[in-house]
Amino acid sequence: MYDPANGVDGQVRDVCIEGDRIVADLPASAPRLDARGMIVMPGGVDIHAHIAGSSVNQGRRLLPEEHVADPVPAPRLADGATARSGTGGTIPSTFTTGYRYAGLGYTTVMEAAVAPLAARQAHAELDDTPIIDAGCFVLLGNDDYLLRQLAAGESTRAREYAAWLLGVTRAYAIKLVNPGGVARWKTGGAERNVSGIDDPVGSSSVTPRKILEALAGAANTLGLPHPVHIHCNNLGQPGNVATTLATMRALAGQRAHFTHLQFHSYGGERGKGWTSAARHVIEHVNAHPEVSVDVGQVMFGPATTVTADSPVEYLLHASTGRKWVNLDIELETGCGIVPYSYKETAAVAALQWAVGLELFLLARDPWRVVLSTDHPNGGSFLSYPRLIRLLMDRAYRDEQLKRVNQKMLAGSALRDGLAREYTLSEIAVVTRAGPARLLGLKNKGHLGTGADADVSIYANDPDRAQMFATPRHVIKGGAVVVEDGQLRRAPAGRRLVVRPEYDPAVTRDLQRFFDDYACVAFANYGAEPVA
Amino acid sequence: MSPAARTVEHVTCLGCGCACDDIAVVVKQDRIAETRNACALGTAWFGDGRIPQDARVNGRTTSLEQALGEAARTLEAAKRPLVYLAADLSCEAQREAVALSDRLSAMLDSLTGAAAAGVLAAQRRGRAGATLGEIRQRADVIVFWGVDPAERYPRFAARYAVEPRGLATPRGRASRTVIAVDVGAGRGPADADARVAIAVGDEVDALGVMRATVQGRVASDEARFRGSPELARRMSEGRYVTLVADGEPGTAPGDPDRAEALVTLAQALNGPTRCALVVLRGGGNRSGADAVVTWQTGFPFAVDFAPGFPTYRPHAGAAALLATGEIDAALVIGSPASIPEPLVRGLAGLPSVAIGPRASTATFQPAVAVDTGVAGIHEGGMAFRMDDVPLPLRPPLAGPPTAAGALRSLRERLGA
Repeated sequence: MYDPANGVDGQVRDVCIEGDRIVADLPASAPRLDARGMIVMPGGVDIHAHIAGSSVNQGRRLLPEEHVADPVPAPRLADGATARSGTGGTIPSTFTTGYRYAGLGYTTVMEAAVAPLAARQAHAELDDTPIIDAGCFVLLGNDDYLLRQLAAGESTRAREYAAWLLGVTRAYAIKLVNPGGVARWKTGGAERNVSGIDDPVGSSSVTPRKILEALAGAANTLGLPHPVHIHCNNLGQPGNVATTLATMRALAGQRAHFTHLQFHSYGGERGKGWTSAARHVIEHVNAHPEVSVDVGQVMFGPATTVTADSPVEYLLHASTGRKWVNLDIELETGCGIVPYSYKETAAVAALQWAVGLELFLLARDPWRVVLSTDHPNGGSFLSYPRLIRLLMDRAYRDEQLKRVNQKMLAGSALRDGLAREYTLSEIAVVTRAGPARLLGLKNKGHLGTGADADVSIYANDPDRAQMFATPRHVIKGGAVVVEDGQLRRAPAGRRLVVRPEYDPAVTRDLQRFFDDYACVAFANYGAEPVA
Repeated sequence: MSPAARTVEHVTCLGCGCACDDIAVVVKQDRIAETRNACALGTAWFGDGRIPQDARVNGRTTSLEQALGEAARTLEAAKRPLVYLAADLSCEAQREAVALSDRLSAMLDSLTGAAAAGVLAAQRRGRAGATLGEIRQRADVIVFWGVDPAERYPRFAARYAVEPRGLATPRGRASRTVIAVDVGAGRGPADADARVAIAVGDEVDALGVMRATVQGRVASDEARFRGSPELARRMSEGRYVTLVADGEPGTAPGDPDRAEALVTLAQALNGPTRCALVVLRGGGNRSGADAVVTWQTGFPFAVDFAPGFPTYRPHAGAAALLATGEIDAALVIGSPASIPEPLVRGLAGLPSVAIGPRASTATFQPAVAVDTGVAGIHEGGMAFRMDDVPLPLRPPLAGPPTAAGALRSLRERLGA
């Protein structure tokens, strides 16, 4: 058993399950699942993926060719229960998403970008995504109401608003995407984006820095289980390390989670080439225990870039000529989508791949550095097992490193030779125990008494990619969902939500704002059932 | 107001794709007496809320249970069943319908089959879009491309695109320049600030000339395209340009390449400035069907489950399969009156099951008809505005069985 949260590192133990919980012991007559010789871990926890909601579904609609190429017949479940067919690709249909996550031993997934206006849709899609427990991060930081409060110096009201919004959208955490930059993109005319955290956004008194401070402060003051989840400005741009470090310094001393850090760790300059700046960024992370990150590893193969960071997607469309969706979302946020493919032969893709691995291999505290591909942006969640092998198997990694385009790898720590190999216990941290702890999910990511009975059991295959791709058994909420490698049960998952308290006075002000500008009735906004 | 009257506020109207959610419905003695804020089209859609409540087998009234039992037998016996999604369904009913299609290995199609050109263009090229409220906040140049929304989308101009004040358009209509492009008989709004006329046969080429102009390339100076470069320049000079076109079929068939030319023009305009293309869609939660079918299958319409998984047959959907006689039974869900006439003719010769509002009045004479409520009038749940914004439904009346409930019962009878 590998249960790092409880200090268990490869010892032989029993896991006792009663109902949907792990208990201290059971009568000898209880039924048994024989896992001798296997590797037992808590169910996987994905801290950042795009699996449901308006942007994801726009992406699905854009990809009929991927869905035609990856048909998924309904699995045959035990006891004649009904399962659903679907399609895969980088953005699978909802039912297939649930089945495939469970098929990897993942039992909890956070949908990382939900536009408040479309939150009702995100929850409906998650209702059709079986097995996994899921939570939504609600998008804030480019919304006109918030920017108005900051322009007026109303930081308390901004916090009350954030608390209200988390509740009405049935969300779990606050997400910032390119704070201020999307608002500028939507302003029109020559304004396209912000270039750093001190650019004005509308009002001279509103900057990305102010937005970051306000929302990081709100999340911490409200005592949310997960701190503010930040997608920094200047994603994917050479030289963006300056913005990333400036953002981290702006929030020094406060808890904050920086997502898909790989996409924010580049040196160089536009037009003059890119370099890896992973070492600078991860050294800052190593030295600041209040900071946590997920990597957003790029994996070679197909991907779909889908983000609220719509100005970035315009640039990607303009530079690749690929098909492109832009959707400006009223008063709130944006959405951009471009299908993409990371090729070993491409210099930038090779650099991105190397930067992600450097972040993993130079990280000193795996509890604060989570495994992610920003699914489906850096690659599908189905590539996690290959990523795990890259971390655990130096020979495999070095062999792949030789094959990739070397043009931009000068100065990369990876090319200087990083010998580190993750242990199984460290993998259990970066895929389960760490993200659960960072999300404040006390009953997830470990196998102690009282934990949710979410368990993954793997054959001890020396090929770790094979091992993590095909768990022998997966237990979710006490139900054996994968049995002898076959998906056999598909119970509904649960929704993870927070509902912080707020001063109801904020709703009177919001009502006025809605009456003046919104095209949806205040009473109809959000994702709660209507009377 | 009489003491017996009650008012339901914030009701979402599905009379067209605008999905106005500011309707106050006054109910007296279980009838809709008034629909405040609704346009004429919306008022007609609500009606007085009276609706047939019948369950029939071969034209004879029977119990709901017997009707659903017969429906299950009819569909179970089919080798090549069609499931068709018509209008006035909640997303909850649409989700049940996809589940049934999966269980029956059926061909699943919807009203979107008749508006496929726009969907397919968006799949090839993408979108440059915005939710309608963003148009309201920002659009300073609005080009109506061969459409006057007053006809089929009566409150569009008042609620979204032209008249209201927005963050960047503080003077409402006065903050905006409205340009009408008349494409043959498809005329833009009469009160536009400027007009450009284009012959139907020149439409796609004119859009190409405009795109080339936006991209700074030398474009045709042929007389028939004379207005196009100037129009493109005016659009490029806007701060946030909006192009509005109708996605629903008109009386005359449109050029099949038009939809893609509109998308690529709107995308190109995002080089020099910002631009959003609004594709107008009809009512009854059509956009919801696209969204639900997409999230459950990966495709928005014309999904064939015959192989045991979803496959995409956008050119061999309900209309084509009914025309060739391949379909041997149909489950038609939603308001029969919304179904295009060629499909109705194809359904008339088949054993069919109709479940939806006024199913018992279907002219294709279904073997089994189950009347249900209308989503948004008698049935709650979720529906989508034409721009894919989800809205809750607040049914002012109780009514016959819900479509979602009837479909769930049918699914259970089929062991799914």
